[in-house]
Amino acid sequence: MSAGEYPSPTGTRGSSPGPAHSVAGGSTVAVLGLALLWYSFFVPSPMVPRVIAVLLTLLGVGAATGRIPVRSPRDFYGGAVLVMLSTLALLACAELPGQRGFAFGPGTAPRLFSIILAALGAAVAVGGVFTEGPPIERYKIRGPALVIIAILGFAAMVRPLGLVPTTFLAFMISIFGSTEMRWVESLIAAALMTLGCVLLFVYLLALPFQLWPRFS
Amino acid sequence: MSELLSHLAQGMGVVFLHAVQWLGPVPIPMNVVFCLLGALVGTLVGVLPGIGTVATIAMLLPITFGLPPVGALIMLAGIYYGAQYGGSTTSVLVNIPGEATSVVTCLDGHQMARQGRAGPALAIAAMGSFFAGCVSTVLVAALGAPLTSIALLFGPAEYFSLMVLGLIFAVVLAKGSVLKAVAMVLTGLLLSMVGSDLETGAGRMTFDIAELADGIGFANIAMGVFGYAEIIRNLELPAESRDIVKAKITGLMPTRKDLIDSSGAIARGTVLGSILGILPGGGAVIASFAAYTFEKRIAKDPSRFGNGAIEGVAAPESANNAAAQTSFIPLLTLGIPPNAVMALMVGAMTIHGIVPGPQVMTKQPELFWGMIASMWIGNLMLVIINLPLVGVWVSLLRVPYRLLYPSIVVFCCIGIYSINNYPTDVVISAIFGVIGFWLVKHDFEPAPMLLGFVLGPLMEENLRRAMLIARGDATVFLTRPISAVLLAVAMGLLVIAALPKMRRRRDEVFVE
Repeated sequence: MSAGEYPSPTGTRGSSPGPAHSVAGGSTVAVLGLALLWYSFFVPSPMVPRVIAVLLTLLGVGAATGRIPVRSPRDFYGGAVLVMLSTLALLACAELPGQRGFAFGPGTAPRLFSIILAALGAAVAVGGVFTEGPPIERYKIRGPALVIIAILGFAAMVRPLGLVPTTFLAFMISIFGSTEMRWVESLIAAALMTLGCVLLFVYLLALPFQLWPRFS
Repeated sequence: MSELLSHLAQGMGVVFLHAVQWLGPVPIPMNVVFCLLGALVGTLVGVLPGIGTVATIAMLLPITFGLPPVGALIMLAGIYYGAQYGGSTTSVLVNIPGEATSVVTCLDGHQMARQGRAGPALAIAAMGSFFAGCVSTVLVAALGAPLTSIALLFGPAEYFSLMVLGLIFAVVLAKGSVLKAVAMVLTGLLLSMVGSDLETGAGRMTFDIAELADGIGFANIAMGVFGYAEIIRNLELPAESRDIVKAKITGLMPTRKDLIDSSGAIARGTVLGSILGILPGGGAVIASFAAYTFEKRIAKDPSRFGNGAIEGVAAPESANNAAAQTSFIPLLTLGIPPNAVMALMVGAMTIHGIVPGPQVMTKQPELFWGMIASMWIGNLMLVIINLPLVGVWVSLLRVPYRLLYPSIVVFCCIGIYSINNYPTDVVISAIFGVIGFWLVKHDFEPAPMLLGFVLGPLMEENLRRAMLIARGDATVFLTRPISAVLLAVAMGLLVIAALPKMRRRRDEVFVE
């Protein structure tokens, strides 16, 4: 499946996604459906979410084996994930008490909204079976991964190392996400940014940050 | 009328007279300083390519949390129109719209810049925005009181229906699939229910994770979905060649002919923008497109458009500013955010302990009128500060993206961490960054999710109250007349949006 090849709405179905893609996506849906099914055995009265989980698994198997044609993968997988999310929500609030007398319990509204979301997600996914749509764009790994690593690194370092080293290091990690990284320029920019943030947050806004590593 | 004037005077008083002896004996009107700071910072970040208005406000949200509530909201409002203003500067000079609302400004604005008339284009954009800002500020003040008094009559059932209508409006008028947008609203509603239940205190959907007991922080979601996701998304795109106008900008002042040509366009753009801005959804975006198309249609010589017609800059810029201003009306009077920026405002208000809604005007008049007055002052400041500073903003554009994005990443990290000093908040925002990235890949708009998240607690509370008052009878929403009308309008909108003919027209509007 070549990226950028957009099937026109009136055109033929020549550009339906190749089998490899459906296998990967479909089996992911099936596995996640099974995981939800497994989870449903640990909560009380799981009839509705369990049925949805079984349907999801079947949907995934159908897509993986090619029985269900995925014409618009963005919609199909997007809708399937929303259904999974609502099933997870249904399972997560299965133990919460529902309506008592005239009063809503804590579980009533989440369950109500989960079921509506499941229906909408299913509608989106079904739309992905019956209408043509563009393929999912390829994910590039480098940039996104390094930015996320930098953010997670910030979270991990800020308590033990203090603000100054953490800011500097997080800047340096995330800058590797770009392919045009240059060392000297980056080190200077990281130092300047660290200085600027310390001035803004610690001195101007007077926030109680620990600046340097604590040795104790 | 006299009441209106006295209210505005009260607002001006809040802005100017709230002085603090900060530096020595000279009293400094702190709210003016906040307004100025907001406008400057907003312009600065708005000028930087690859960061839109929503991302700008999400990024700068944490630094306003330490301020007093009035000052914080004045500063946020300043950031908002500052960012809008910065967006139009890049449209004219670099042909990169800083935001969706200034996409059409590129068409004629950049052509003018190429003809060496960048100065007049920017000046007219600023003047148009200022004029539109003045008019719509008065409109906000005038409509504030009557709308609020209507909203105060609403019971929980009406309020719930009104929120449904507001959300549906926002979804129908925004771009993309309506079905997917409604699904996003519901996702946001569900996310807002994570954490302790308002009435019973029972932990909901927390999976026994202690960090989720208080719910998901609003700033974490906003920063992740709008800040990080946007950066990640930009990193994927190939480095674009920026077509910066190298020539020195000379002659800032427009000629007399420019002024005469654009005065009509500014007036029409203001009217159109003010009306469209009150509607929830992409008010400001639609307003700028509508104003441009309208000018083109009534022009004697439509072929000038696209080749540097000054009306093509004046009309959309006035319209988007007017709409940006009047989009505060539903927020301030009804407590319903009509778009993602206003949802961020709700988040900021909630963090300061202010419940947005009709009671703000009666309980905190200094906040309400102070904010309205600050809008006008902010617009004035933008004109005064920014025209001479155009050169500075242009030089900012030379900062390469490879240095820019790491700065934004660490800035956002520190910002989130500063709210509660919890590293887990930073982790949650990273997760939402990935989610936001995934959403974009699957053609889901993140803005409706944020709207749903912000309105979630209010909607649930009113739904529960309405049901309790009606003794569990769900038909209450249809038997109470106002509620029934509101729901009927919502249904009607959905049906109209689903009609094939309307769908095609809607697509055309957004593709253009």
